Amino acid sequence: MHIRSLSLENFRNYVRLEQELPDRAVLLCGSNAQGKTSLLEAVYYLATSGSPLSANDRQLINWTAKKEGMAHIRLRAEVVQREQVREISIVLLLEPDTQGRQRLKRRVLIDQAPRKRRDLAGELNVVLFLPQDVELVTGSPAGRRRYLDDTLSQIDARYSAAQGTYTNALRQRNALLRHLAEQGGDPGQLEPLDGQLARSGVAISLARRRLINALSQHAHRTHGELSGGKEWLQMVYQPNFDLTRPPGIVCQTSFQESPGPPQGISDQDLVAAFRQQLRERRREEVERGMTLSGPHRDEMRFMIEKMDLGVYGSRGQQRTAVLALKIAQLAWMKQETGTSPVLLLDEVLAELDQHRREFLLAQVDQVEQALLTATDLEMFSPSFRQRATLLWVEKGLIQPYER
Amino acid sequence: MSSVPASVTRLIEALSELPGIGPKTASRLTYFLLRGQSDLPLRLAESLRDLKERTRFCSVCHTITEQDPCPICSDPHRDHALLCVVEEPLDVLAIERTEQYLGVYHVLHGALSPMEGIFAENLRIPDLLRRVREGGVQEVILATNPTSEGDYTAAYLLSKLGPLNVRVTRLGRGLPMGGDLEYADQVTLASALERRQEL
Repeated sequence: MHIRSLSLENFRNYVRLEQELPDRAVLLCGSNAQGKTSLLEAVYYLATSGSPLSANDRQLINWTAKKEGMAHIRLRAEVVQREQVREISIVLLLEPDTQGRQRLKRRVLIDQAPRKRRDLAGELNVVLFLPQDVELVTGSPAGRRRYLDDTLSQIDARYSAAQGTYTNALRQRNALLRHLAEQGGDPGQLEPLDGQLARSGVAISLARRRLINALSQHAHRTHGELSGGKEWLQMVYQPNFDLTRPPGIVCQTSFQESPGPPQGISDQDLVAAFRQQLRERRREEVERGMTLSGPHRDEMRFMIEKMDLGVYGSRGQQRTAVLALKIAQLAWMKQETGTSPVLLLDEVLAELDQHRREFLLAQVDQVEQALLTATDLEMFSPSFRQRATLLWVEKGLIQPYER
Repeated sequence: MSSVPASVTRLIEALSELPGIGPKTASRLTYFLLRGQSDLPLRLAESLRDLKERTRFCSVCHTITEQDPCPICSDPHRDHALLCVVEEPLDVLAIERTEQYLGVYHVLHGALSPMEGIFAENLRIPDLLRRVREGGVQEVILATNPTSEGDYTAAYLLSKLGPLNVRVTRLGRGLPMGGDLEYADQVTLASALERRQEL
């Protein structure tokens, strides 16, 4: 798939942008702080309805627009997939809620019809690679869970729905546990929430397991090639509630490639097992006022042999692992959807050596469209620059690049 | 320093306390009432006073009423064995407008939502269970909203009503009249398919 045209309104430093994009590599050149990364951020937002860089959507509103009371953002893309064009747009609007407080409302439209967030699945798929993505290996488990969620939600509306249900049930349940701890009340109120949590939690955990297994296989191969066959990477899923083992047995680490749940166990059995565990830990949960088991505590580790890269890996090894992960994501999305996602690369070449650079740029030639940002064009070979479309980004405006 | 009479500012301030009304809208409404030639301000004042002084909650079903028990609860022609549980008094009006329902009601005054500090003990749930336990009720229709809070409340009520030897049903869920299949959300469409009917 590729984006035919992109338009942004009041997003970061773009007051208004209308940009046609070709189905090939696009090099966005310019100095720092001109809007190169923001363009990739906007495309990622259209694909996932969330920013990879900011947890608070209000920060995305153009500063001047906000000052003048024009408090809305409009993102729109025309996406070509299998010779069909679909228009995706997301509008963020400051509106007073019933209490009169200003809230940022998000509206998702596909071909101008209002849709739910989860309906974005499959409309625009992207693989984003930022310089700070090395934190996926070194940073907190929450960052890795967010990565898994964003990746799965992009192509699977049911995952997106399960995740929404899970998050809501978890918040309600934690609030109820706190209340039961402080003021008491009927613990029976937990039961329906346990059911919601278990059903959506099992769906999340199964999908994450499948994804990590697939990514690990792809990344294993790529990483072997990148390291000249010297090192072999594996990604290991460490679910907080392990569906492959009966509840009660806590498994801290498993270095084997995570297998699926044992044969002959239905989803209903898994849900029942999850509920059983919730029931067994209820007293402890009420005491601590929070939910202690479930996918909100899942972990994924990057391993070489038996070494945890996040803890013991060198910076170079960690970078190579992230590169292998992103290339694996690209291959996985292609395999799942039958179409290549849009590749978004933000200044990542600077961090890589010649060999890895060439490897990554070879991937760019494999996809329909890639958007790359660069402050230094010298990093790209003359033949690559010749093949690519060059655009000049300055102060939120885009012009053809004068070669 | 203000040259605006106190009675005007008092009204503006009172109106801004209403949900969805800011100071700007409140002033606009106030000046509208001030300039108008009609008796609207007096009629408003009277209805507001009545709202406070003459309405109360029905001691049986907890809906808003001027007489207690409310006209529905005291109507002998209605089916008192059929009980419809709703979140708000306005839901009673909505169901009454269908002119299809001849049973009685029970208003919970909200739906379970621990995040917003609404727990079972804050709703008229114990009273509902007492009504059912007292006997005479054969079917309870759970007509809470099709939201996650409404579903949660319905599931909780089902767990409490289950052991009480009463038939428990949930309002059907399907496609809206005049709607477009193409634009229906997946959850609604899936549920409409699941609960399709023989013609």
